[in-house]
Amino acid sequence: MKLKQSLFKTIIFSEILKGLQLTFKHLLKGKVITQQYPHQKPTLPDGYRGVIVHLRYDDGAEICVGCSLCEAACPSHCITVESAEREDFPQKRYAKRYILDVTKCVFCGFCVQACPVDALASSKEYEMATTDKRTLMMDKEAMLTLGDQYFPIRQKRPQYSEDRFSLFKQMKEVGFPLAKKGSS
Amino acid sequence: MELAAQLLVILIQIAAVMGVVLLHVAYLTYAERKVLSDMQDRLGPMEVGPHGLLQPIADGLKLFFKEDIIPAGANKIIFSASPILVLVPALIGFAVVPFGRDSLHIGDVEITPYITDINIGILYILAFSSLGAYGILLGGWASNSKYALLGGLRSAAQVISYELPLGLSLVGPILLSESLSMMTMTHAQAGGFWNWYVVKTTPIPFVIYMICAIAETNRLPFDLPEAESELVAGFFTEYSGMRFSFFFLAEYANMILVSCIGVVAFLGGWQAPFAFLEFIPPIVWFLAKVYFLLFFYIWLRATVPRLRFDQLMAFGWKIMLPLSLVMVLVISVAKYILTH
Repeated sequence: MKLKQSLFKTIIFSEILKGLQLTFKHLLKGKVITQQYPHQKPTLPDGYRGVIVHLRYDDGAEICVGCSLCEAACPSHCITVESAEREDFPQKRYAKRYILDVTKCVFCGFCVQACPVDALASSKEYEMATTDKRTLMMDKEAMLTLGDQYFPIRQKRPQYSEDRFSLFKQMKEVGFPLAKKGSS
Repeated sequence: MELAAQLLVILIQIAAVMGVVLLHVAYLTYAERKVLSDMQDRLGPMEVGPHGLLQPIADGLKLFFKEDIIPAGANKIIFSASPILVLVPALIGFAVVPFGRDSLHIGDVEITPYITDINIGILYILAFSSLGAYGILLGGWASNSKYALLGGLRSAAQVISYELPLGLSLVGPILLSESLSMMTMTHAQAGGFWNWYVVKTTPIPFVIYMICAIAETNRLPFDLPEAESELVAGFFTEYSGMRFSFFFLAEYANMILVSCIGVVAFLGGWQAPFAFLEFIPPIVWFLAKVYFLLFFYIWLRATVPRLRFDQLMAFGWKIMLPLSLVMVLVISVAKYILTH
């Protein structure tokens, strides 16, 4: 009986008919998985690591203090930081030059994690295809404008108290007060 | 004068049929891509024109302007002759396919719905469709490439094993209609779908015909001659540009041709399935049936994986051939008993 059944199934191509049924079901369903990419862009998850950007404080000043920790953390050596002392705030540093080589960057996000002042962030920019490789050598300005684009909500600048400012002023005039032995 | 007018009419007919067939070939590729992609939850061509409707034209233009490369070790004459040898038999078969019932009369000139109605129509098509295999074999051989040669050899083996059951499956309709002419065969199936040979000869010859037709046109699941995962592209690995597109055209024209023969021999040609549906023009019925068979081809391609080569040969020689021989015997005995 069982043999007869399987023979009958072979004769009417039962397996193939089953397959045909399945494919026809998919034809009728009309479900589409493909995304028409340039016309229809994917919604990226929040943890997406695109091009690294620089951030600003809410008053527009850049956050970066030029500590070069990102340069140290970068596994592909794509970050170059040249830091300098600020004119207006003695003993405060900033990145005079900051170069990100996107052609080398592996988008690991280690620099973002390494940054002590949260000056760096991963944007969701991923369409970096270009005919001119030089545009992929991003300087600080390019990274700041990209950061403005992707992070419109900026963090507040920490407020310094008046005596902090007066200390800075004093330092500017007479130099950094060296700690003396015996003084409190 | 009379002769000139007739010649002109015939030329116009040929041009019209060729034009329609080539247009169908172009849009069959589009339909195939669309149906396949729908079955695989994709979108298929979407860029050129609305929903990619102009894709076949873009493809054609691209192939036309591509560089035509002849490999260094290839036999130049055979290499350039074989695409033509494949394409011509595929297109020439349409000469005997009856597309509709009524002739068109303009003054004294009669325009028939077929180019010619020779009394050995089916034999003519079978003869020419087997010639196409020469083109494939020679093309594979002349390319001086192991993949192309293997593809060509497989094609030859496949054609030998599927040509026989294909011819034998058509013996049923020939016996019943007592004619080899496609027109007579269609007329013999008038009256309703129970008179169609797919019912009258039991569906077995029709199923055999469909399987063999798929094997003949090198389509999945019998696309071993061009199995892209094993043989790059089989016999047309080395072809490019126009010559490549000739092979492509031939494959799709062959698909349409075997569907047309299947419709004429088994599905009643342009006959309506019920008498009360005869107000719909015959050509619509013919096209609907051909489109259904073409859709079935594509449907099957989306469903069934490629067979192994020994399975293909075993299936052809051990099942299809004996079965079609038995069916010939059964049909002829039944016909004898019923008429006497």
